[in-house]
This record gives sequence, structure tokens and C-alpha cells, in this order.
Amino acid sequence: MSENSTKTLLPEGLRDVLPPDAAFENEVVERLTRTFALNGYNLVKPPLIEFEDTLLSGVGAGMGERIFRMLDPSSHRTLGVRNDITTQIARIAATRLASDARPLRLTYSGPVLRVKGTQLEPERQFTQAGIELIGADNGAADIEVIVVVAEALKKLGVPGLSVDLALPTLVPAILAGFNLSVAAAARVRAALDHKDVAEINAHAGQAAGLLTKLIEASGPVDRAMAQVATLALPPAAKAEWAALEHVARALRAAIPNVAITVDAVENRGFEYHTGITFSVFTAASQREIGRGGRYKLVSGEAATGATLLIDALLPVVPNTATARRLFVSNGTSRAVVATWQDKGWIVVVGLSAGVDDTTEAKRLKCTHILKSSDAVAVS
Amino acid sequence: MSPQPLIIALPKGRILDEALPIVRRAGIEPEAALGDDSSRALRFSTNLPHVSIIRVRSFDVATFVAFGAAHLGIAGNDVLMEFDYSEIYAPLDLGIGKCRLSIAQRTDMTEDLDLSRLSHVRIATKYPNITSKWFAEHGIQAECVKLNGAMELAPALGLCPRIVDLVSTGATLKANGLKESATIAQVSSRLIVNRTALKVRSEEISGWIERFRSAVAG
Repeated sequence: MSENSTKTLLPEGLRDVLPPDAAFENEVVERLTRTFALNGYNLVKPPLIEFEDTLLSGVGAGMGERIFRMLDPSSHRTLGVRNDITTQIARIAATRLASDARPLRLTYSGPVLRVKGTQLEPERQFTQAGIELIGADNGAADIEVIVVVAEALKKLGVPGLSVDLALPTLVPAILAGFNLSVAAAARVRAALDHKDVAEINAHAGQAAGLLTKLIEASGPVDRAMAQVATLALPPAAKAEWAALEHVARALRAAIPNVAITVDAVENRGFEYHTGITFSVFTAASQREIGRGGRYKLVSGEAATGATLLIDALLPVVPNTATARRLFVSNGTSRAVVATWQDKGWIVVVGLSAGVDDTTEAKRLKCTHILKSSDAVAVS
Repeated sequence: MSPQPLIIALPKGRILDEALPIVRRAGIEPEAALGDDSSRALRFSTNLPHVSIIRVRSFDVATFVAFGAAHLGIAGNDVLMEFDYSEIYAPLDLGIGKCRLSIAQRTDMTEDLDLSRLSHVRIATKYPNITSKWFAEHGIQAECVKLNGAMELAPALGLCPRIVDLVSTGATLKANGLKESATIAQVSSRLIVNRTALKVRSEEISGWIERFRSAVAG
């Protein structure tokens, strides 16, 4: 191993973000959180690390396998690095902000870590940005969260948006009506995650017919609604499905340019969710760019929210910013520098006297050079 | 607007011969070179200008579809179980490529026939994930020796006493002095689709699943 490789090698799934990507990432996160703020969502900043038992309580239960842990030399307690910010917001809303007026609208952004990547997504550090709407238990809240996210993405110029609605409580409600063994139910859930009809036929017994029809019904809203309407769902599931249908129709009216699909059996990644959930896709990427849905705080309060996956989002945001970098020679007054900066220019001051300004401007990737109080394009 | 390109990944070899009639009944007529084993081409055109077919190894079908590099594919559930990719849906059993994934051991082995007495096995396989998971569920730690073919040779040559491999008639096992001791799973080929493709090109991909469903039924 060369000396250089030991200095540059990073642990797997981690990387340095360099110019200009780092600035672009910051800008995208800022533009998103600005849209969220304009919709009344207030910024909160939870810490990166918490006590393990706090991090894994409430909606964080079930994250145990994914978090980095370390021993706190000061308290001798185990600490965990956050794997998801939503769980932290849920904690804050249920405790420190318990007496704030409802509905409570909060936004956040920041990095999260997980212990293991996958072949599909090897990254172990991600940036999340999102919103949480706490204390509103109706369809209007589900609709607002999805609309705000769709609008924020549209403002960024993300093309071909599509939102896939799901109801992770539907399948358990259906399975409860059939007398499946615990092992068979687990296999059925795993098969549903892969929409594997052959496995469902093998293990779901009497439920197989209904579950297969639900898989086939997944797709564009109208077709899904028409197909599910003909199925004999348990009464509890029927009511939840009606709520989903209401949200789907309202979304079509509110964000007509976003494709709305429905997936009646989707459950993966919605471990702590208790109602309508959604995933956001774009025609320009093979990765999901956002997700969210309804959950409950430890206090029993209803909440819904959305998380955007910045790492998946960045490649599909058009970088329209035409950064103008102005080179000014050594000794230019700070007042002149400030005038140009106020006009939105990036100003790079030459540090060495006696070199050719044009050569220097080119070398430092400046687009313009200041010549007798005019910005002249560097050819 | 012309339709977006659609890539279908098909596995090389035996399954391809069984899959081609279904592909044709679904309305896709691939160029003749696809069925020709001696052709070195990797990508093939079809009667539909926007639909093309790639011919790759069966394990790679799953990988191409999981990453969204191909939108549809045909893969056995042995491959799907081994990778357990979150981004693959398998909405249709094509009923072809039927066989089973089994554990086999030397016919002359008298010791360790009772698996419940074991705490550790060494086993040669192309499927290390499925194998270690199956043995873990039986309370046994499996040390897998990853081989890519000719698994049946391993026990006779002393590499390890057991293998996990696909079995259809059992003739290859018998010829190599092996017998099946347990079946892990029944295997058949599935139509697989990429999750994002199904969400973003919902009408189109659902349409293709329907056409394959009719093709299998007919």
C-alpha cells in the first residue's frame, strides 16, 4: 500500500464532496428548506448523536440494526448516531414542543448515517431534508405534505414527477381476517414486498386470490380504484382505502402535472407508519427521491411528514446557476470588491503582484476580469 | 413523441430456449441472432423499434433489472432469493425453467447424516446467501465455498462433503456419486420488473405484464 493510498482511502460508503458539487448540494438544500419555510414550516436542528435508548424509542424502534453506536466517555452510556431525522423530530414534538400550538409544522435538513450500505445504494452517509406536520389527523394534512414536497421539487426543476401512494396498514388488516400461521404470514409479507405472485400462491392459502388482485390493481389511480372497488375488503380496510382514494383525487386536482399511482401492497421502508404513505419518483432517475407518510408520536398524537433523499435528488436537479466569477487584481479596494459582490458576483482577488491578470484569471477559473471598472469576459 | 426505450434482460442458455416462445407470444419478435448461441452480440433489436433485448448470465439479469439498467427481465427465483434486491418485483410466474434448489452430499457418507447434530458445515455453492440463511435457520453455521459451476466435482475431490445446487432430474448428482439430502426451494422462472420503472412508466409496464400473463396462459 502506497503512502498516498493510506492517506486518501475513506471507509466504504463515505466520500468527500468537492467543488462545485458541495456548493450545489448546499444550494439545493437551501432552496428546498426555503420553500418549506414559506409554507409555515419552522426549522429545527436536532443533534447528530443521542443516547441509544432515546434514539431507538418511539418511532425509532426497529432502527436498532442500522445505527452506529459508541460509548460516551463522559456518561458511560451507549450513544447512537441518527439514521433518520424524522424520529428525532417526533421526539421533539412529543416532548419539548408538546405545548406548542397544533398543527405543528417543522422542517429540517442534515446528514444521517447507517452501518451498512447495499449493492444498490452503497452510501453510508446521506443528506436528508424534510418536513413534519404534527397534530392533524385528516386527509388535508396528507395532501398538504405531498403538495408542498411536489411544489418544492418542481421549483427546483425536477422533471417528470410521480407520486406513488400506499397504505401499509391494508395488508395486515386483510391478513388478520385469514387464519395464517405466523411463519406463513411472514413469508406472505416478504413475497408481497417483491410482488411475487408465485410465492403468495404457495403460502397465502385462502388469502392468495385477494392479495394477487391487490398486486394487479397497483398502478395508475383510476385503474387501481376501479379494480379495488370490486374486491371484498374487511370493513376497517375499506374505510382506510376510502381515505386514500380521497387523498389521491385531491392530489390530482392540486398537482395536475404530477403522475399519481397507487400501490396497495407496498410496505417496505414504512416500518413505523400507521396510515397513508408515499414515495416520490422522477422519470429522470432510477432511484426513489423522497418518501414519507403518516405515523404516531409516543404521545399517540397523529403526524405525517416527508423526507427528501438529497443524494438521489442532486443528479436530477438542473444546475441553472451561471456563477459569474470576477477576477480583480491585487490591491483593488474592498469598497470596489463589495460593490460587485452586492450585485451578485463572486469576486476573486489576486494575491500576487507582477503577474499577468488575464492568465491568472483563467488559471483560477474566473469568467470575467475587472478592467477599468468594467467586467470583461475572459476568452 | 416516440416511446422511451425499453430494455428486456434475458438469461443465456437453456432458459432462453424456453422463454423465447413466451416472448414471441407477448408480441416481441427478436432478431434471429438472439437464439443463436454462437452469436457474440450482447444486445439485440426486435420488431418494435423502442424495445431491445440484452442477453446476459442468469445472475446478471437480476442485477441489470435491480439497477434499472433493464426494465423487464426473466430470472429464476433462485437468483432472486440469492440477491434479495429491494428494487425487483416478480409479478408473474412463467412456469418455465422448473427445477429445485437442493442440498446434496456424497452417497457413501455415513457420518453426519443427521443435520440436527451439526454446528458447522462446509459447503460448495453458487448461492452463499441462500445457503447460509437456510443453515442459520436450522441452527447451523455454514462456511460457503463460492464456486461458479461444476459444483458436483467438489465432494468427490475432497473440497467439501456437501453442495447446494439446482437439481432437475438428479442425473448429474448420481453420475458424481451424490444424493439429495434436503430441498431448499422449488424453482421456476419469473417475469421481473424494476420497481421505479413500474412506478414511473406505470401504464406501459403494467401493459407488458398483462401481455406476458396472456402469453403464459395461452
